[in-house]
Amino acid sequence: MLTSLYVEGDTFLHRQRPGAKLALILVVGLALYFTGRMAVQAVAMVIAGAIYFSLPMTVREAVYRLKPVLLAIAVLGLINIWLLSPQEAAVSTLRLLAVVFLAAAVTATTRIGDFMETITWILQPFERLGIIRAADVGLALGLVLRFLPDIFAHYEGLKEAHAARGIAFRPLRAIGPLMILALKDADAIADAIDARGIRGDVSPSNGERR
Amino acid sequence: MDIRFSDCSVKFKTHVALHPFSLVLSERRIGIIGLNGSGKTTFAKLIDGLVKPTSGTVTVNGLDTVKDARAVLSAAGFIFQNPAQQLIMPQVMEDIVFGLKAHGLAQVEAEARAKAALARFGIEALGPRRVHELSGGELQLAAIASVAATGPDILIFDEPVNQLDLKNRKRVVDAIHALPESAIVISHDLPLIEDFDRVLVFHEGRIVFDGLPAASIAHYREIAGC
Amino acid sequence: MKTSNLVVVALFAAVIVVLGFLPPITLGISPVPITAQSMGVMLAGCIIGARRGAAAYLLILVMVVAGLPVLSGGRGGISVLMGPTGGYVVGWIIGAYVTGLIAQSTVREGQPELRQYIGFFLASIIGGIAVVYAIGIPWLSVAAGMPFSKAVIVNLPFIPGDLIKAVIATLAARAVLAGYPMLPSRA
Repeated sequence: MLTSLYVEGDTFLHRQRPGAKLALILVVGLALYFTGRMAVQAVAMVIAGAIYFSLPMTVREAVYRLKPVLLAIAVLGLINIWLLSPQEAAVSTLRLLAVVFLAAAVTATTRIGDFMETITWILQPFERLGIIRAADVGLALGLVLRFLPDIFAHYEGLKEAHAARGIAFRPLRAIGPLMILALKDADAIADAIDARGIRGDVSPSNGERR
Repeated sequence: MDIRFSDCSVKFKTHVALHPFSLVLSERRIGIIGLNGSGKTTFAKLIDGLVKPTSGTVTVNGLDTVKDARAVLSAAGFIFQNPAQQLIMPQVMEDIVFGLKAHGLAQVEAEARAKAALARFGIEALGPRRVHELSGGELQLAAIASVAATGPDILIFDEPVNQLDLKNRKRVVDAIHALPESAIVISHDLPLIEDFDRVLVFHEGRIVFDGLPAASIAHYREIAGC
Repeated sequence: MKTSNLVVVALFAAVIVVLGFLPPITLGISPVPITAQSMGVMLAGCIIGARRGAAAYLLILVMVVAGLPVLSGGRGGISVLMGPTGGYVVGWIIGAYVTGLIAQSTVREGQPELRQYIGFFLASIIGGIAVVYAIGIPWLSVAAGMPFSKAVIVNLPFIPGDLIKAVIATLAARAVLAGYPMLPSRA
């Protein structure tokens, strides 16, 4: 149902570690925000754009992925020309484009699995503080991807039930019932997870829960 | 296999699920039958510690289900009524590997064990398939494979052939009969437990009959009035 | 976190993703069409509470960063965060938490219906609107190089739609509370 944004390839970016790429975005992003010189932003945008559009996907696909954010940047740029000055508008627009192109390039060249490993690693200090268990993030992500089609099927089921009874289907009215259908399996799924001993030191809680 | 219940009872907030009883289970194939709400599932869940006894103790091969909870989970696997809720990763293979890695295996070893588990039940082809595309029988076999993969000696089944058509029912029944592990099976489907070693009949939170399948089934029919 | 809570968080996050596939709706008084997914923050806090609601949105953030197109319109990837609207995504997490805090403190099963509606509505507008904008607007102002006051004005056209969302979310949350309550209570 969900196709990842990863694009298969073997470019320079593909070969870097996810952590390094994330750090790169942060460093470049921060640096660009600390300078107001248009020349710097322009160069950054051109380089980032070149990297992004040189990736192994069609220009159409590359643009399609960023359509919403490019639109927002364009609108904001126009507003800035009116509010501030063409110069300042150009600076902020070029900066946003540079950052967005670079970020999109990193997303396209990093596999989800590799990202998850990095995210799990980043969360380790939080694990020591007792706020979150890094392994749970992988489990949670798996659960989302596993049950997404089931929940979609629940939604389609609601549509069909309405059609069968000749009642007009209003998507917004279906939100409540959809929530209930989706969430009522939670306890049974949790039981199965605990029975397989999947979560380290967590052992099953007793019988009834609600 | 040696499962001992000493003076066990299970009381929930609103009712008594199981009245006090003591019991020793050691047979290779044990069936559990009874009307809905008679305490069958609660009893089965006592075995692997999913339900803790309100009084008394349960030990599995010498391990206490309360004090040695984790070890008991490794010794006994539970296959739930709805196999779709049991598989928690998008792809069958992913699910089995995930479970094995959670038990400490490295990726490569986990993949090898997972493939072996699938082969054991004749469902290697299901490895790369997405869980939500599987049929009832395929789901049930995949769930069994995922639980058996981690190597428990005892497998507990809650209505394993409930929703299956004849063809898939046969696949699962054959798989259960061929298991080297000990199997404890709750079943409304009486033919499934017909040639088991021992069958317990539950009624209103008590074990009202305990013996060979034919006699137990006869007793159950009496209670059910058919 | 109990396994059952972890599963609730994951399933709720999955519902939010599914909501993103629903078609946007144009309603009379709002100049901007509203998406079902954008009600997710209010729904999260009002239905599963502060901690689980925030965790669900944290999970969504992780999915976005990992490169899954889970936001309505098939949006995903780090570019969503680094763009001008990145602040809202972070705002959702805290917004869901605040919505949940208010909902858990003010709404109980067994209360008169009207009280429950009021509680959910208040939670939705404070957590789902005010808090989200409190984080999204400053971020927008910095990211787009726009003066703060102007950044506020740019967001004003969305407010009527947000109020409608709060109403819809309130109705949905109350229906869930009546049918399958999952809101933890707070002393």
